[in-house]
Amino acid sequence: MMNRDAPSATQAGNPGSFYPNHLFVESLAALAVFAATVLAAYVWQVPLEEMADPGDTTYVPRPEWYFLFYFQLLKYFEGPLVVVGTFFLPLLTLTLLILLPFLDTSPTTDIRKRPCAAALSLAGVVAVVALTALSVVEDESHVDKIVLPPITEEQITAGREIFNKFCMLCHAIDGKGGFMAPDLTQIGSRANRAYIERVIINPQIVSQTTIMSVIPLSDAERHEVSAFLSRKK
Amino acid sequence: MSRIYKFLDDRLNLSPLLKEIADHQVPDHANPLKTPTALIYCFGGICLFILLLQILTGVFLMLYYVPSPDNAYAGVNYIQNELAFGGLVRGIHRVGASAAVVMVFLHMMRVVLTGSYKNPRELNWIVGIVLLLTVMGFCFTGYLLPWDQKAYWATTVGVNMVESIPLVGNFLAAALRGGSEVGMLTLVRFYVVHVMFLPALLVIFLAAHFFMVRRQGISRPL
Repeated sequence: MMNRDAPSATQAGNPGSFYPNHLFVESLAALAVFAATVLAAYVWQVPLEEMADPGDTTYVPRPEWYFLFYFQLLKYFEGPLVVVGTFFLPLLTLTLLILLPFLDTSPTTDIRKRPCAAALSLAGVVAVVALTALSVVEDESHVDKIVLPPITEEQITAGREIFNKFCMLCHAIDGKGGFMAPDLTQIGSRANRAYIERVIINPQIVSQTTIMSVIPLSDAERHEVSAFLSRKK
Repeated sequence: MSRIYKFLDDRLNLSPLLKEIADHQVPDHANPLKTPTALIYCFGGICLFILLLQILTGVFLMLYYVPSPDNAYAGVNYIQNELAFGGLVRGIHRVGASAAVVMVFLHMMRVVLTGSYKNPRELNWIVGIVLLLTVMGFCFTGYLLPWDQKAYWATTVGVNMVESIPLVGNFLAAALRGGSEVGMLTLVRFYVVHVMFLPALLVIFLAAHFFMVRRQGISRPL
């Protein structure tokens, strides 16, 4: 069991040596992960939102992706059952994890001969993956809850007119318009249509302190404006 | 190079120490040069690498970060948008956190798959769980530090969860927040936990982890 290793392993041409052979392979693997990490950090602009505003209780926070499964799990425990999700289930999981080597005591390490350990850990992994996926799917459907008619050329034309009439007093677009509010020339590449709709309905979702007022538009008119803006890329 | 080494070795007797650390055989079943699937045995080493990367990027982020509600956001904003390579370093730290979670998870999966937690390695398995919790602690405390909306409200939700624990929940939540609401004291204690307490815990338990691996060797299939 205790394999104290043979001395003088560090010889050239000994592929089993930890140093330098194995360390080299290990370093290559780490280098690959490092490259992927730097690439991801470079491509994905890490978000920094508005500064924290303790008074803004309308903000709906999302946890980091690796906590999403837990967030999703908590949705199934309400009222007096909340404590099951926040305390008893994590405690049970942790206890099981710690006790694993004392429960799975068969002498074999072959995963095929350890059905209980295999089934339990597989169930755990499947649950985490499924809950994460479920959380992402529910988020998406929540964001796009507003039902939008497909974009037509007439809508875009009408949207441009409405925009010129109301929005351009403050917002600039294609070099024309006001300077009180952000330039919307390329808004379509920054925001999707559902988000634009929600900002028009409730400007404060962008910022608590926005001076943008709620423009009285009918649903059809709002769809026209959002159609126009979402095509401004 | 070898003369410097000889100079140090003559005076400090380093050879036995280095021999203990680096001079040993990796069994064939864990050697990717002999068994390609043995790459899964590299996951632990990759975890160590990412943790070192996190420490390095974290130290650089600390140069421009002040843990107070008035300055935290401004500091992170400066790092992200103005400082040369600041956005990249913060990006690596942020993505690195995700990478650490992924690799720790994969490493655990490997240990379960190969039954490596079995006798005589039960203790190292438990140390591994402590390390897992430490990494999660890093993730939780680090999330508040940018002091943006997401940070603030995600932490509020997290602490509220702690509050729902029976009997000790209220006390624990108050201890985490340093009061009744997430505020300046919360930021300072999350910061100190993130850069002092947890790194100390990490170093101690990593040392134990590696000591036991060397002492017991890499597990063999039984």
